[in-house]
Amino acid sequence: MPVNPLPCCCDSQTTNAPIPKVENLPIPSPAHFSFPSIAFVYISLVFVTSHALPDFLEKPCTLKITLRNFQSIFSWELKNHSIVPTHYTLWYTIMSKPEGMKMVEGCTNITRPFCDLTDLWNNMHETYIPRVVAFKGNTELVSCVDSIFLPLNMSFDPPDFEIVDSMGHINVIVKFPYNAPKISVDRLRRHLSLVIEQRSEEIVKKHKPKITGNVTGDFVYVLDKLIPNTNYCVSVYFEPKNLRAVIRSPLKCTLLPGLEPESSESAIIGGIVTVFLIATVFISSIVTLKRIGYIYLRYNLPDALNFYNRPAWIFPEPPPLEAVDTVDVIYINRKKKVRDYNSDDETDSEDETAPRVSAGGYTRHGLITKLLTQASTSLSTSKESQLIDLDVGEDYLSEAEAEPPLVPEPSSGQSECASGPYDRRESELQDPFSEEDNSSTEGSGDRIIFNVNLNSVFVRALDNDDDGDVSPMLPEETVDLENPDEMESSFLIPREEGMPPPFPSTSEEHLESEDAPSEKSDSSESDVDIGDGYVMR
Amino acid sequence: MNAKPDVIRKCFWPICLVGLFLTSVLSQSCDLLYVHLNRVTWQNLKLLSHMSNPFPVECLKEKKAFELPQEILSHTQPVKRHIEEAFYEISSQVFNIFSQHACKSAWDEKHLKQIQIGLHQQVEYLERCLEEEEKESEDMKQMEEKISGSGDRETLLNNLKLRRYFNRLGNFLKDKKYSQCAWEIVLVEIRRCVFYYFQKFTTLLRKK
Repeated sequence: MPVNPLPCCCDSQTTNAPIPKVENLPIPSPAHFSFPSIAFVYISLVFVTSHALPDFLEKPCTLKITLRNFQSIFSWELKNHSIVPTHYTLWYTIMSKPEGMKMVEGCTNITRPFCDLTDLWNNMHETYIPRVVAFKGNTELVSCVDSIFLPLNMSFDPPDFEIVDSMGHINVIVKFPYNAPKISVDRLRRHLSLVIEQRSEEIVKKHKPKITGNVTGDFVYVLDKLIPNTNYCVSVYFEPKNLRAVIRSPLKCTLLPGLEPESSESAIIGGIVTVFLIATVFISSIVTLKRIGYIYLRYNLPDALNFYNRPAWIFPEPPPLEAVDTVDVIYINRKKKVRDYNSDDETDSEDETAPRVSAGGYTRHGLITKLLTQASTSLSTSKESQLIDLDVGEDYLSEAEAEPPLVPEPSSGQSECASGPYDRRESELQDPFSEEDNSSTEGSGDRIIFNVNLNSVFVRALDNDDDGDVSPMLPEETVDLENPDEMESSFLIPREEGMPPPFPSTSEEHLESEDAPSEKSDSSESDVDIGDGYVMR
Repeated sequence: MNAKPDVIRKCFWPICLVGLFLTSVLSQSCDLLYVHLNRVTWQNLKLLSHMSNPFPVECLKEKKAFELPQEILSHTQPVKRHIEEAFYEISSQVFNIFSQHACKSAWDEKHLKQIQIGLHQQVEYLERCLEEEEKESEDMKQMEEKISGSGDRETLLNNLKLRRYFNRLGNFLKDKKYSQCAWEIVLVEIRRCVFYYFQKFTTLLRKK
């Protein structure tokens, strides 16, 4: 490549004014040379050149480096359009290297005003010094020199693109070359961002899609969420990351299609479906709230708000009399067995009968304490156990139905009531407060016996006791089994030999079983009615 | 329909100013080294280009190859601290060149002050970041001495190469007696150096 020497300063000072040819100028004869003439010529030359000085000092060309389709295109333009060169030649040098200007191959004696320097100007950090010489024939018309620093001087032409509108969106197809030079792709990724600008009336929206992978072929970007029947204009350009000026592409506009008649029908159908869905959601929410109890819906109005039966409302009927059931009281004497778990009590349950329940549902039972069992130890042990064991708890026996052996008898009459199950029971009754030995209770440790003073208890009076099954009395007092010392004295019946057992009810049962009416008359004479059917003896 | 663009126009400049303020504040954080380098470097490059445009053609015959050390941080896996140290050395040396007394006659005072302020800010920022990194790594010093012992040596070598390079620039100015052409040539070379390392370091930081 021929190397031109460094251009001298005068090259940059090439004037744009047409240089008059020496042969066209009139040649004065020596006789005509005089001082005034010379002065006039000198002044004229100075005047002419002074007018040309601005052009002389300014650059005669505009030099540009542009990235176009990923090609680094160096172009130039003469400012003086009157100068029409026939061809151009391009030289360049690099500031960091001591070498001189080098002619660019492929850009020598060219008629086009641009040159592709993609493969030559590779380094972004270098400062390149290009020189363009315009010739007309063999005459050098213009020489232009400049310094180019690519990061600040390179401009980026917008890429080619197309827009295709569709239903509600626009497809922007950016066309990249299939064989883009690698250096240009790297330059784009490092220093540039692709921008797709969407304009609608006065609203401008910028999209900056990320370009990943190879930048080759068509790149499609979709503009969605657009308003039908609206004119949209699209522009695509590269934006340098150092926020330099950008070169926008010409706008490409399209009018988005509006709703067609068929589409209006579909809109109506869509509206109906929407209303239906809303109604369904509303009804289902109401039903759900009602089911979960959030809404209480009553089908019937309260009577106070019931205005249909106006006469009844005005003249309300008297409330019906309350039906009062007659109550038949059936006294049932129940014996409750004290279940001693240390002994075999289960066999006793076999002989127990079902408890008798009065018409009024009353059952009576007594409580048995330990001390009473102690009190019962003073009774003769020789005799068969005839004491009444009154159960506290589960086992109940109706005395009316009970076998006579359940009822303690006086010693003289005990044998009548004795029966098999009671043979095992002790019949001794003792003073519960006595501290005597309870050896008898030990022998009958599985039995708890206590005495009840029927005179101090309340029993229910029988007014219409036609049922002979009703037995009038058994005490229904509760006794503190834990502390039998706290028993009322009324419960205490000192027992002496020969005295009737402290459970006159048992005797009364016997009497009842033998002679029920007389027993009743006796009970009625000695009872004190305290009201509500209860009688205190 | 016109209310929205009016609102946008009214709020545009305040938003821009706030954005610039936030950017400048946030970029002072050492965690945003890339953002800071990007912002400050481009500012300095634009100033340098304004100062050297147009380049006098007559000075082309005095141009010289200063042999920019391009192998710095090329062979190892540099940590952030090494990048900060290299950039700190470059910024300091450039600041020293533009602070010489003879520079005032060569350039427009306004541009000169702007470039000096920009370089000074960069030097201060990098100093602060290096101090912070030293405090953070005090606990790991013993371990680092073994691991990055070679790293420290390489840092020293890199700094030495950079200082030699800037010495060449200084000697060129001195030899050319601080002529206009010498300053123009040195300015173009400094612009080349700054952009070259800016490209390299930002690529390394992005990889991290």
